[in-house]
Amino acid sequence: MIATPKRSRIPRGLFPVGILLAVMLPLLLMPLAAIFVFAARSGLPGFVAALSSPDAQFALRFSLLIAFLTAFINGILGTYTAYVLSKYRFPGRDALNVVVNLPVAIPTVVVGTSLLLLWGPIGILGQFLVPLGVSPMFMPAGVLLAHLFVTFPYMLGSVKPVLDELEVTYEEAAYTIGANQLQAFRFVVLPALRGGLFSGALLTFAHSLGEFGATVLVSGNLSFRTQTAPLYIFAQFEAGNIEAANAVAAVLAMLSFVLFFALMQFNKSSARA
Amino acid sequence: MSIILTDLTKRFGEHLVVNRVSLDVRDGELFVLLGGSGSGKSTILRMIAGLSTPDAGKIELNGRDVTYLPPQVRGTGFVFQNYSIFRHMTVLQNVEFGLRIRKVKTKERARRAEELLDLVGLGGLGARFASQLSGGQQQRVALARALAYQPAVLLLDEPFGALDVKIRSQLRASLKEIQRQLKVTTILVTHDQEEAFELADRIGVMDAGHLIEVGTSETLYHQPDSEFTATFIGGGNVLVGRREHETIRLGSTTLPLPRAGHLADDGAPVRVLFRPETTLLQAERFAPDAGLHVLGQGVVVERIFAGALQRIVLEVEGLRGVRAVSPRVSYGQKATRVEVIQTAQREPNASFAPGAKLWIGLRDFHVLAPSGLKVLLCASDDEGGRIAAEMGSRLAQATHGPATLLTVVSRPELVAPARTRLEAMRRDLMPRVANLELRVRVGTSATEILLEAQEGHYEVIALGQVPDRNGYRGLGSTARQVLEQAEIPVLLTRSPEGKFENILICTRGGEPGKTDVVFGGRVARRANAQATVLYVQTPQTTDDEQKRAARHLLQAEASLSQQGVQCKLKILDGSIVESILQQAKTDNSDLIIIGAQAPRGRPRLRWQNLANQILGSTDCPVLVVPMNE
Repeated sequence: MIATPKRSRIPRGLFPVGILLAVMLPLLLMPLAAIFVFAARSGLPGFVAALSSPDAQFALRFSLLIAFLTAFINGILGTYTAYVLSKYRFPGRDALNVVVNLPVAIPTVVVGTSLLLLWGPIGILGQFLVPLGVSPMFMPAGVLLAHLFVTFPYMLGSVKPVLDELEVTYEEAAYTIGANQLQAFRFVVLPALRGGLFSGALLTFAHSLGEFGATVLVSGNLSFRTQTAPLYIFAQFEAGNIEAANAVAAVLAMLSFVLFFALMQFNKSSARA
Repeated sequence: MSIILTDLTKRFGEHLVVNRVSLDVRDGELFVLLGGSGSGKSTILRMIAGLSTPDAGKIELNGRDVTYLPPQVRGTGFVFQNYSIFRHMTVLQNVEFGLRIRKVKTKERARRAEELLDLVGLGGLGARFASQLSGGQQQRVALARALAYQPAVLLLDEPFGALDVKIRSQLRASLKEIQRQLKVTTILVTHDQEEAFELADRIGVMDAGHLIEVGTSETLYHQPDSEFTATFIGGGNVLVGRREHETIRLGSTTLPLPRAGHLADDGAPVRVLFRPETTLLQAERFAPDAGLHVLGQGVVVERIFAGALQRIVLEVEGLRGVRAVSPRVSYGQKATRVEVIQTAQREPNASFAPGAKLWIGLRDFHVLAPSGLKVLLCASDDEGGRIAAEMGSRLAQATHGPATLLTVVSRPELVAPARTRLEAMRRDLMPRVANLELRVRVGTSATEILLEAQEGHYEVIALGQVPDRNGYRGLGSTARQVLEQAEIPVLLTRSPEGKFENILICTRGGEPGKTDVVFGGRVARRANAQATVLYVQTPQTTDDEQKRAARHLLQAEASLSQQGVQCKLKILDGSIVESILQQAKTDNSDLIIIGAQAPRGRPRLRWQNLANQILGSTDCPVLVVPMNE
C-alpha cells in the first residue's frame, strides 16, 4: 500500500501572532494612535485653532518649502552623481562611492555640528565669510544646507541601481543615430530613470520634512525665521503647549502617511510594468 | 570604396585586441567579419561607428577620414545584439528618433518611419512598445531605426546572436533582401560560419586581433591561404608534407605540385588541404584513369551517422610521421588520421564499418600559402637571451614567419616569473612579429630547446652569444650542445641589431652542400636579400673536388635564381675561416650561412669549430645549417 503523503498543516499561529501584536502595540501602534487621540480630545475647533496660529502656519509652510527645495536640488545633484559614478571610470571612484553614501550613517546632530564648524562665525570658512556678510547659519539657507547633506544618499540610492542596470548600448545607439550626449540623456537615459527619480524624490521629501537633529543646531530654532515643523513641535512641547505641538505633529504624521502610501503604490505599479 | 581601414590597432591595457587591420569594403557590399569570441571583430565595428577610439590607424567612410570624429557625425547605422530598443518609446518613435534629432518635419518623418516599418515587415505595429514585441521583431525595429536616416554604412554586431534558429534564418533572408534593395554598404559581425556563408558578398576571417584572410565564401572554403582559415571554416584535413622538386611528399605518397598559386620553396614544408566531402573511399584500388590522387590505404576507426551524411575517420599507415594540423591529433594516436564524409545510405554500408581497409582517393586538394620561417627564440634570462630574441625576431620579421619565445627554468616554481618576463618581452617585440607565442619549459637548457624545436616543428633556432667573464668569444655550452644535435638550422648571434640584405652562403662542393644553399635561398627570398655563394679552396683541395665544386656553384646559382634570389658566385683560395671573414667584410654581409655535417664520426666538430672561429672574430650572425649525407 502506498502511503499518501500527509498534507502539511498550516499552523494556526494564534500564539506567535499574539506575541507580535503584544510587542508592536506599545512599540509602534499606540504611539501613532496617541497623536490622533490627543488631537481629537480638544475637538476640531481646538485643533484648527492650534493649526492656524501664525507661528504654526509659518513652521508648516517653511518645512514644506525646504522639503520641496531639497527634493528638487538633490534630485538634480543625486542624478548627476549617480550618472558620473555609474558611467565613468576614474581613480578614487570607489572611495567617492562610499563618501556620497556616508550621510546615512552619520548622526544628524553630528552633521549639524560639522556644518556649524564650517560656516559658523568661528568656522573654517565662516571666519572669513561671516565678516563679508555671508553667513548661512541660523538662516533658511543653513537649514537647506543641512537638509541637502542629510538626504543626499536617498536620491542616489534610487537612481544609481537603475543606471547601473541600463546597458551602455542604449546610449551608444542614440549616439550612432546622431544624438549628442545631452540629447541621449534627455531622450534615452532620463525616461528610463523616471521611476527612480520619482521614488527618490518622495523619499528625500519625506526625510526632509521630518529632519530634526541637524536642523535644530544650524537653524538656532528662530520662530518666523528658521523654525521648521519638527522644531515647532519641540519648542511648543518644551513650553508646555501640548495642544499646539500635537496639532502640527498630527499634520506631519498624516503627510508622512500619504507620501508613504504614494511610494508603495508607485513601487507596486512599476514592479508590475 | 565605402569603408577603408588602414592599420587599425586597439589595445585594452596590455592586450592587443585589434592588430594592424587593413580592409577595403566596396560600395553596396555586404561584408562579414567572421571570428571566434575575443577575436576583435566587434571592436573593429565599434571603432568604425566611433564608439571606441583606435590607438593607431585610420578609418575612412566614403572618402572622409573619420578616425577621430564623434559617432554622431559619422552617419553609421548600428544594430546591437541586445536590440537596444528604447523602451519608453513606441516602435514608430524609435524609428523616427534619428529624424527627430535631425529636425525633420513631423509629417515627413512619420511617413518615412511607416515606410521603413513596412520594409522590415512590421507594418501596422508602430504603436506598440518593445515589451509587446518578440526578440525577432525588436531586432527588425532596430534595423529600421538604423536605416531611417539613410546612413552611409550599416554596422551589425552579431544581430541574430540572441535569437532562436528559426527566427534567425527568417531574419537573415529579410536582411539580405533589404540590403540588396537599399544597396547600403554593410559590415556584419558574427561567429556563425553558416550565417557568414549565407549573407556575405565577401568574408574577412579574424583571429586574435588579426584579419587573417579576406575572400568570397567559395574561395575561403576551397582555396584558403592560411591554416587558420582552412581549419576554422568547415571541417578539413590539413597535412604537412614537403616539397620535393615538382611533387609534394606526404609520407610514402606523393601529390603533384600544383602549378598555380603560391609555390613553396624546394625542400620547404607544404600544407595540403583536402575537404572530407571531396575524398572518396573504395575497397579496391582506384583505377589509374579515375583522375584521383591516391592518398593510400587506411583503416576505418570511427563512423558517425549525421542524418544525410556519415562521417568516417580513417587511420592511414602510409602517412606515418606526416604532421597533421587537422583533424587534431589525439593522445596516443599512432598513425595520421583522415576525415571523410560520404552520403548516408539507407542500408548501413558494411564496407565503412570500423576495421574495414579502404583506399582513399582525393578528387581535389589545395595547397595553402607557404608560411614564413618558424623561429624559436631562446630567450634565457640574460643578455644572450635578449640578443637572441631581438635578432631572431628580426629574422622572423624579415621572413614573415611566426616565432616563439622560449625560456628554460630549472624548477617548476620559476615558471610564473619567467612567463611574466616573456610577456614583457613580447610587448616589446610585438610590433615586429605579430604572431609571437610564449613557452616556458622546465629542465636543462639544451635538452629542452632541442625537444621544443622538435615538438613545435620549428625551422630555425635563434641563440644569443655573449663573451664570458674572461672575454672569451667562443660558443657557450648550451650552444655547443644544441649545435651538436639540432636537426634544424641554428642562428648564432652576438648583436641584437641587424638587417638581412646581404647574405653570404658558404658552401661545400657536392650533394651535402645543397642543403645550406637551399635554406639560404629561402631566407634570402623571403627577406628580399642578395646572396653571395662562396666556395673556399684550400691547398688540400683535389682537382676532382674543384670540378665538382664548380658544377655545384653553377647549380646553386640556377636554383637560387629559380627561387627569385639575386646571387653572385665567389671562389677564394686560402684558409677557410679567413676567406669567409674576408668575403663577409667585402660584401658587408648581414648573415653568414655555413653547413654542418651530420654527426657521424663527429666530423661536425670541425664545422662547429668553424662556427666558433667565425663567431669569435666577427659580430655578424652565423646560421649553421645541418647537412644530411
